[in-house]
Amino acid sequence: MSLQYLKDAVAAGDREKLIRYVRLHLGDGNEEAGRKDIDKAWTEALLPLLDLPATDREFIFETLRMKDAATLAHLFFHLHFYFVQRSGEWIHDGNL
Amino acid sequence: MTETSEGGEAAGRQLRAGLWATVNERYPGSMIDKTDFIPLAPLRKPLSECRLVFISTSGVQPRGTMPFDTVHPVGDYTFRRVPSSSPVEDLEIHQLKYPTVGANRDLNVIFPIERLRELAAEGVIGGLTEHFYSFIGYNMDPERLERTLAEDIAAAVSEEGADIALAAPA
Repeated sequence: MSLQYLKDAVAAGDREKLIRYVRLHLGDGNEEAGRKDIDKAWTEALLPLLDLPATDREFIFETLRMKDAATLAHLFFHLHFYFVQRSGEWIHDGNL
Repeated sequence: MTETSEGGEAAGRQLRAGLWATVNERYPGSMIDKTDFIPLAPLRKPLSECRLVFISTSGVQPRGTMPFDTVHPVGDYTFRRVPSSSPVEDLEIHQLKYPTVGANRDLNVIFPIERLRELAAEGVIGGLTEHFYSFIGYNMDPERLERTLAEDIAAAVSEEGADIALAAPA
């Protein structure tokens, strides 16, 4: 898969190819592993919020307001790996 | 280390001719679509007189430099200069796409910096460039890879006066 492959999928409105690509990326080439890691990241993100701790909402709103979509998207991928790593179930062989 | 050939295209030889077609057949949508003729470059002097540069997709980089972007879905198109005199303790790996267990024990497994220094000291090769070059292989835009990363590394290698390059995918 290449960037052009992804752009063609976007142009064709083929979201399935995009979803598959993201799963493959996050799963190191294993689509099922990627899907599980996406779920893992979300559940791991849920856990710290269960007791309703105070969070820095000003930081959140400031970040969302001040940063462009590309930077936020990049941060989103970072957060995915952050929470997967935090879960302790690290399927990746390498280092972030 | 490398095969010496003369004549390039005129000799009608290409290293692993048909490789790209095979890759594209096996991996539809693959980023590899090169069909250009890629001749073998002739070695112009003995290895013992050649200055060698090492180029690696291992994601090895000096500690304290900006980590390679291992999370970006389209890849990272930057490279790091790694001093060929670096102690291995001063280097680290940022790369998600290959097992690094062995390399974390002994970096030479993937980035043979000490072995190459030994070969230079023994006179097997003439010497090493001041820097080696490292990047990560997860790059989904072959045009950008060729236009920026490959060209930038080639220019840097040329400036360092390399006679031969040892290129090792991780």
